[in-house]
Amino acid sequence: MSAPPRSRRSVVLTETVNGITPVLLLFSIFLTLRGHNAPGGGFAGGLVMGSAVVLRYLASGPRGVRSLRVDPIVLIGTGLVIALSVGLTSLIVDGSFQESAIWKWHVPVIGDIKIVSSSLFDIGVHVLVVGVVMAIIVAFAEADDEMRGRS
Amino acid sequence: MATARPPTVHEEPTTLILLLLAHVVAALACLAPGRHAARWALPVAAIAPAVTFGWLVSQAPAVLDGDTPTVDIEWIPQISLSISLRLDGFGLLMGLLVSGIGVLVLLYSISYFGRRDDLGRLAGLLVAFAGAMLGIVWADGLLTLFVFWELTSITSFLLIGFDDTNASARAAATRAFLVTGAGGLSMLAGLIILTIVGDTTTISGLLADPPTGTLTNVALVLVLLGAFTKSAQFPFHFWLPGAMAAPTPVSAYLHSATMVKAGLVVVARFAPAFADAGLWRELVVGAGLASLVIGGVRAMRQQDAKLALAHGTVSQLGFLMVLLGLGTPATTYAGVAMLVAHALFKASLFLSIGVVDHEAGTRDMRRLRGLLRALPVVAATMIVAAASMAAIPPTFGFVAKEKALDGLLHAEIGAIGTIALVGIVLGSVLTVAYTIRIVVGVLGDDAPGIGADDDGDTEAGGEVAAAIDPADVHRPPFALVGAPALLALLSVVFGVTAGAVGDWLAEATASLDPETASKHLVLWPGINEALMISTAIIAAGVVLWWFTRGATRTLDARHSPATAAYDQVYDGLLEGARRTTAATQSGSLPLYLAIVLTTVAVSLIVALGAGATDSISSPRFSNSPVEFVAVVVTGLLAVAVVFARKRFMAVVLLGGSGYALAIVYLIQGAPDLAITQFLVETLTIVVFLLVLARLPVDFAPGPAWAPRIVRVGIATAVGAAVAVFALSASGARTEPSVGETFVALSEPEAGGRNVVNVILVDFRGFDTLGEITVLAIAGAGVVNLVRAARRPQRRKHLDDGNEDVGHDHDGERSSTDSDAGRQLGVWR
Repeated sequence: MSAPPRSRRSVVLTETVNGITPVLLLFSIFLTLRGHNAPGGGFAGGLVMGSAVVLRYLASGPRGVRSLRVDPIVLIGTGLVIALSVGLTSLIVDGSFQESAIWKWHVPVIGDIKIVSSSLFDIGVHVLVVGVVMAIIVAFAEADDEMRGRS
Repeated sequence: MATARPPTVHEEPTTLILLLLAHVVAALACLAPGRHAARWALPVAAIAPAVTFGWLVSQAPAVLDGDTPTVDIEWIPQISLSISLRLDGFGLLMGLLVSGIGVLVLLYSISYFGRRDDLGRLAGLLVAFAGAMLGIVWADGLLTLFVFWELTSITSFLLIGFDDTNASARAAATRAFLVTGAGGLSMLAGLIILTIVGDTTTISGLLADPPTGTLTNVALVLVLLGAFTKSAQFPFHFWLPGAMAAPTPVSAYLHSATMVKAGLVVVARFAPAFADAGLWRELVVGAGLASLVIGGVRAMRQQDAKLALAHGTVSQLGFLMVLLGLGTPATTYAGVAMLVAHALFKASLFLSIGVVDHEAGTRDMRRLRGLLRALPVVAATMIVAAASMAAIPPTFGFVAKEKALDGLLHAEIGAIGTIALVGIVLGSVLTVAYTIRIVVGVLGDDAPGIGADDDGDTEAGGEVAAAIDPADVHRPPFALVGAPALLALLSVVFGVTAGAVGDWLAEATASLDPETASKHLVLWPGINEALMISTAIIAAGVVLWWFTRGATRTLDARHSPATAAYDQVYDGLLEGARRTTAATQSGSLPLYLAIVLTTVAVSLIVALGAGATDSISSPRFSNSPVEFVAVVVTGLLAVAVVFARKRFMAVVLLGGSGYALAIVYLIQGAPDLAITQFLVETLTIVVFLLVLARLPVDFAPGPAWAPRIVRVGIATAVGAAVAVFALSASGARTEPSVGETFVALSEPEAGGRNVVNVILVDFRGFDTLGEITVLAIAGAGVVNLVRAARRPQRRKHLDDGNEDVGHDHDGERSSTDSDAGRQLGVWR
């Protein structure tokens, strides 16, 4: 079940994936952000976004992953830095690692907005998980290219 | 006047920290821009030590008056670890040497290196090293001392191995690092013991009320071992000549003037309080004298002027070790004077040799000739600095050595004082001899060339090189000769003004031992015992040189017994590791699994047998029909996996079992867990299938050593043990669940209603951070494995002229794929 060569690719699958990708992306962000108060969270959100990458690979092969123009290692690093800096910021400001800070604003029309610093931490987790999933997929894409190169 | 000083606290102690930070900032500023910093890094790096030097000069009157700025910043209070710095007279003196010579070396490096790409790295490392060294000389906290100590080890490792494409430079760096690093660990153990038995965390506290007893003596031996490795004392002296693989300015700074003094600094601080304890004097005198003599003998047998100086440094460090380690006021005072003298003349000599190398293209004394006329300023510098090294009046080296001999003559420490005196006289004869040898070798006109005059010795590797032509020697720019000339000049100025310098040193040394405050230095002591001994030493040295001057046999530093011993240990360690790996890592996945699983089963069964079965509670099977179905499906699918004949089937069944389990989670009221389980299961199946596409359809046959019955046995044992243990563990709770607290605190403390998530990102956020770090490492590992595998592959593609898209770096690209690939970076 390596990614199919161009000739055997299913148009239906490709189109479906193209259609469903934005939904998946939105849903993954939704999952991450709601995590603090309802089931979800950065890990789950990251996996959903990672699944979008996987689907793209299954539908369009290495080309589908490559066209994303994102280096997984950058995602992994960014995620780790975000998560770490949330913890360190609280260490510097508050004196203890990863103590949640809670900010609340009242915005007209939208209503009350509450941001908890640990949500930022979850965003870091999300980004990192996407990076890891993508790294694995890129590994497969590489192997495909190699095989094709040899044949 | 020194004894009656009340300790006062300085108003602005934070300057010490700011100065150290300035070194860090300068280092980062030079290192971060990489090649772009090459043009300006050295002068920029010099700012930090220059400012330090200026500040120290401005503080000198106050500090010498007994006003010692201290700084104490809490770091990890739980283990009483803090950054404690203290600027006393000795710290001031050493700080002036470290920063002053640092500035000179950095400025010298500008013209020495000319244009190179990697000067940012060099400047950054040098200034980082200078900062770490300042930390050592200013450290008051015992652990602060250790932290900076290790920082100098690390930076010097990087500096010795600066020429990182050269295998022997890397080996020398590793050797220096392992030796000094091992010594550092030994010292850490010693310092920790002293912290405990002395009930203090600072050096000043320790020295004010020195502990006694066996434990203290053991600790002191450990500390001394650290000091010996760092200061290249016998039997750890062998790393220093190898460290000459570093560029000459680096050698001049690290391996003559500063880093190798770190051990001496510690010994000098401890000796007045601890010299009488345990084996201190025996060790210090033994190691010091051995280094003094061995270094001297080896220096006589080098043809490379820099290596001869390096062996001479080992010798001089031994001399200093004896003086500073004896712990009597007179020797301590003389030791500090000698320390200053040594820093001046040795840095000057190294930098001069650097100029010779730079202008004449070689440091080999068999090839150098005619430099007296070709490089007159350098020649004069060398002669003056060498005179100080050989203790010839009116240099500061002479003044200091007179004081040393005088101090030893009058030291009332019994036989060991006499032994020290005899050893030092012997060593000094050698010093005079090798000094003349180096000066004559580099500047003299007799240059046989390599190979021409050798008696068939093969140590030059059959290499034949004629003597240089003095006409080819360039005139060095002023910037290159300025630094060594200034240092040589100071050697004379300090000698001539010995009285004033001596009083100043007495005040600085009073922080080591208050009794030294009354000591003096004089240029001309009149005819006394010390002067007669000095005269005899010089005469004997000249005679020794005269009779050995024809010897051309070169001693290869690599073949010393100590190096051989080190190599044997090092190679043995690596070989042992290789064998252990070969014996334990068969590379067979079934074997690994068998070992891991058997271990799990056995340990669980042992635990259960030891009474953990008491808490087994009978489990509820299910709460609802749906859950019943889910549990049964989970189990059935799991069993089916075992009987699957095709890999594909097994993966699908395993996935099904996982999904069914997720439903159980959902019914049990754990939606977060269920979501994660679903997602992970999905991705796992996909990844599994992608892998399977590259593997044979059927399972490989089982290994011969584990027939079916064994495999089934292990599997059953693990399954049963884990199941029973799970039942036992869930019933074993004696404390109230922490979950209740988390639920209660979730909303008010962390502002979240989903307690599972709050635990992950807040209450147990640190754990999560650890987990995602592991994840990140795994991800990075995958990426790098792919890239590593790619490299040879890509080369093949280029050779084949394959038109495959995305691989080809320089070839034609037909689609946007390869552009994207380039941006991705993974395709490289």
